[in-house]
Amino acid sequence: MLTSLKLVIRPEKLSNYYLSTLCSLCLALNLNAAEVNNEKLQVHGFVAQGLINADNSNYINNDESLSLELTEVGLNASYQLNDDFRIAGQAVYLNGGNRYHAGLRLDYLLLEWNAFHNDVWQASFYLGRVKNNHWLYSSTRDVPFARPSIIIPQVVYFDGFRDVAVGGDGAAVKLSYSDDVFGEIDFNFSKGKSAISDDQADVVIGKFALGQLDHDLDTQASVYWRPPFSPWRFGISALDSTFSYESSQVDNFFDSDFVFQFYTANAVYEGEFWQFSAEIFQERFVTDGFYFPGFQRDDIGQGYYLQASYQVTKAFTVLTRHEAFYANKDDKNGTKLAQSTGGLVPSYFGFHNDNMLGLSYNFSNNFRINAEYHWMEGGARLSPIVQPDPIANDSKNWQVWAIQFMYWF
Amino acid sequence: MGGVSYYLNVVMSPSVNYKDENIKSIFIYIAIVILLFSPQVNAIQIISNITADTSSLSVTQLRRIYSMRQVHWQNGIPIVVYVLASKNPLHQKFCREKLRLFPYQLDRIWHKLTFSGYGVAPIEVANESELIQAIKSTKGAIGYVENLSEVKDVNIIKIGD
Repeated sequence: MLTSLKLVIRPEKLSNYYLSTLCSLCLALNLNAAEVNNEKLQVHGFVAQGLINADNSNYINNDESLSLELTEVGLNASYQLNDDFRIAGQAVYLNGGNRYHAGLRLDYLLLEWNAFHNDVWQASFYLGRVKNNHWLYSSTRDVPFARPSIIIPQVVYFDGFRDVAVGGDGAAVKLSYSDDVFGEIDFNFSKGKSAISDDQADVVIGKFALGQLDHDLDTQASVYWRPPFSPWRFGISALDSTFSYESSQVDNFFDSDFVFQFYTANAVYEGEFWQFSAEIFQERFVTDGFYFPGFQRDDIGQGYYLQASYQVTKAFTVLTRHEAFYANKDDKNGTKLAQSTGGLVPSYFGFHNDNMLGLSYNFSNNFRINAEYHWMEGGARLSPIVQPDPIANDSKNWQVWAIQFMYWF
Repeated sequence: MGGVSYYLNVVMSPSVNYKDENIKSIFIYIAIVILLFSPQVNAIQIISNITADTSSLSVTQLRRIYSMRQVHWQNGIPIVVYVLASKNPLHQKFCREKLRLFPYQLDRIWHKLTFSGYGVAPIEVANESELIQAIKSTKGAIGYVENLSEVKDVNIIKIGD
């Protein structure tokens, strides 16, 4: 029975030293939360653990077994140095199986300068390791209670790009305006780069690429607008980033440059019981080299998701979402992809679709359980995207379900 | 309030036959006026530390403060925002009546600020008396109470449109 249900959990994945340390820290600090949260120093954190299973895919693990690799722990602190300057930092431990490499990360560590403020304007500058604040859930993608579901829309928040997309070392500017006529307007701009470790590179380009992948530079901007007293909020964003790959002396691949551009538009509705959100995007992925010297590819992919949630009772919420993406707008069903690889890469690697249903129950102000089921179709959002794995992912249709408990303070 | 119900019952009753519809309209206006000016029991009041030199705020300004978009008073003193827990009935009433927001909308803004590093959330205290004490003793503090008559040594802020 156990075998048929694939209840083969691998507890050694949880025995990570960092996890236990962070858990202990969170609990210890929470005991003193009231004392710690004075007007200058604030300390917050979260602990989340879940069960996850992916069938017909190596999205979580290679043997498709039930997994505990759904761990997220975070601890942050913010200290107001004086009226204008503040420092803040957050460390997170993440374990998502094959979704991204497991381990401790310095999520952000920054100095904030509140440079200008009056009745309607506020301008702040951030220096250090800053988070991507440009998409609807980019800054809270690892914060279980501050995102809509356990697995957020892969079309926009592709786990394989998580470590590069989550933020970088550089600077950011946030400009806010609000009044009774124009409503609330936020402008965000950031520039920086992410250090890519070998583990992270394996997720992006695969284990057979033995060289060094570097993130050269990343420029992002976004504008958000909420009309006066409106339940709607609208936003647009743009991202331009470049990567380079330096092959090792013995390597299966060649020196190369990659360009990734990403443009999004989004809308959010926040009603008393109903909430809606949607993001639509276009991406451009340029490959110069890599597979062989002189190789050129310039693909434009497009996608979107639509999400609705309904608050059934004060504690219980139901969520549903539909998402769709194709990696090349001139090859939406992946036929050309299959032809160009002589059938080695099946056509379903040209797209990714997902329909999901989720439930959420709040036990208290800071303790929640989420559960969800995904009906996935296609392999365009399975790592590593530059070297698809059609053996591990030999089915166009695959399914994921997950349950996660989360606590925060 | 009982009087208002009586007026509304009489006005809305199909058994009353009015010669002129205008009379019916006048009754409705009177009923609405009485409703508006009925003494409010336990109305929520916005209070601040006496160092904040502000006696009135618009709803937009109050929203700016609670969504952490305005972090200084007009006299330059930093604003320190205090709140009760999200599920506290007084906090829920404050969000809906004073800010015209649902509590989850504020939670979302504060979580995003706190866990992205781009800002800080208000300081949460356990109950109303702790909140009052914090406002009395913290320079630039702002908060809300339901029983203003029992509160002294604070600055009272009127909320306009």
